[in-house]
Amino acid sequence: MKLHGRRPEETTLTVWQVVELARHPDRPYSLDYIKRMAPDFVEMHGDRISGDDPALTGGIGTWHGRTTMFLGHQKGRSLKERVARNWGMMHPEGYRKAIRLAQHAAKFNFPIVSLIDTPGAYPGAGAEERGIASAIAKAIMEWFRIPVPIVAAVIGEGGSGGALGMGVADRVIMLENSIYSVASPEAAASIVWRDNTRKVEAAEQLQLTSRDLLAMGVVEEVVTEPVGSASLDYGATAAALDEALYRHLQPLLAQPTGELLQHRYERFRYIDSLVRAEPQFGPKI
Amino acid sequence: MVAAKKPADIQISGSKLPPIPLPTNCPGCGVGLDLEELRRHAYVCTSCGHHFRMGADAWIALIADRGTWKERYGDVRSHDLLNWKVPKPYQETLEQLRDEGLNEAVRTGTCRLGGRDIWLAAFDFRFVGGTLSIVAGERLARGMEQAASSGLPYVLVAASGGARMQEGVLALMQMAKVNAAVGRLDVAGVPYFSVLTDPTFGGTAASLALLGDINIAEPGAAIGFTGPRVIKQATYADLPPGFQSADFQLARGQIDMVVSRPELRRLLAHLLEIYP
Repeated sequence: MKLHGRRPEETTLTVWQVVELARHPDRPYSLDYIKRMAPDFVEMHGDRISGDDPALTGGIGTWHGRTTMFLGHQKGRSLKERVARNWGMMHPEGYRKAIRLAQHAAKFNFPIVSLIDTPGAYPGAGAEERGIASAIAKAIMEWFRIPVPIVAAVIGEGGSGGALGMGVADRVIMLENSIYSVASPEAAASIVWRDNTRKVEAAEQLQLTSRDLLAMGVVEEVVTEPVGSASLDYGATAAALDEALYRHLQPLLAQPTGELLQHRYERFRYIDSLVRAEPQFGPKI
Repeated sequence: MVAAKKPADIQISGSKLPPIPLPTNCPGCGVGLDLEELRRHAYVCTSCGHHFRMGADAWIALIADRGTWKERYGDVRSHDLLNWKVPKPYQETLEQLRDEGLNEAVRTGTCRLGGRDIWLAAFDFRFVGGTLSIVAGERLARGMEQAASSGLPYVLVAASGGARMQEGVLALMQMAKVNAAVGRLDVAGVPYFSVLTDPTFGGTAASLALLGDINIAEPGAAIGFTGPRVIKQATYADLPPGFQSADFQLARGQIDMVVSRPELRRLLAHLLEIYP
């Protein structure tokens, strides 16, 4: 079998292999990209209400000569760090922290880069007790009001509402071997089949690969990974991601704020307009 | 414009509720159920207060003044866009539910409540678990945009398992679509009242259902993000009784009030009166 191809449309991988690559423990995580994109990155902490969520990293750094706010889900590399980072699964404090940092960026007119890599929001009792549902709901609504350009990239797992809570942006792109889904294949299998061992079938049904999302019009671009996937060459993957994100950011920097926010609204308002529907939905922008 | 009625004149329901399938005994207290009496009492057990789940048709009959309901966007239809085949073809599921007379998981339209013009949206848990789908999102967003520009208050009745799996990531995207539209209501200063009924979970709870200017829950309704079964699977935690109940959410600051169904219409009429 040939190594994974360089062109997104020419893959030899099965859907489940893509899921496994997206979750691979050697895959670069948000901080691996951020520290390459902005070596002077300064990390900030806390939601200014009750806590800090280590599952989300955030801070500022210089990117292409411009101070930029970076946000990203952060999975841990060692077992100890995985526990500390909660495997990149955010609690309510994380979404509140994200919006605080986004408002901070808006105050100083910094553009925002959001890197998405989470199995989902934390599915535990503590998150429920502290209002995870309304934290995500509020964050999604607030993102539409942040008056600076936002570019997002799914770099590994884009799991459910936990990912979308960080995924409302003017442009959303995906790394080739990343996934973005309404639910993890395990959760979908559990919901549809009542049997979470049917995850491979569920993954195939869900259409969650970067190619599927590009075809549906949900993301603007798929960024090709090096031969053998991102895990084998952090530097080359970071450079490709950097180039694509900056290319998408540039036209946004020139846009008047009102227009920027209107386009962000329309991006999601008509995101399903490539779907055949009767009567037709709104225009695709 | 019809003169608004005083809240004291407001009946339990706008018109007679449609019949719903009911057990012979109340699951709450075991008392034998008198179906006609229950129907007059908005399908709430008169001895223990157990709230039976109602579909969108019953909710519309309950909230709208008699003869004022005008369904909008009912012609927007869903179809199997992902070619979902297992364990059951999605297209077949959709057609079967339509044959049963159900029109998607959310129905929207305009009506009057106590003489006041409003927008009303009601989830229907019988349609694929009241899941947020492209059509549901489209109906909600269109109505909210209309309400934002016309200034009519928006009333939501939620009952949903979350986003619809069979529509994949496009169902997930409806959360962003409807929240953006809720933002339009905010900017326009239009009142948005959300009634959370049993159950309201997942992508629906984490989008429009908990974003009301006033969040009203029914007694005993289960409300949360992750369902108890999945929490147990993921964390092996034993959840205490009453976890994610309406009272639990009230105590944790997620909802404004718990209101029993026979009181709901009077409350909404009162709110419409005092939010100009």
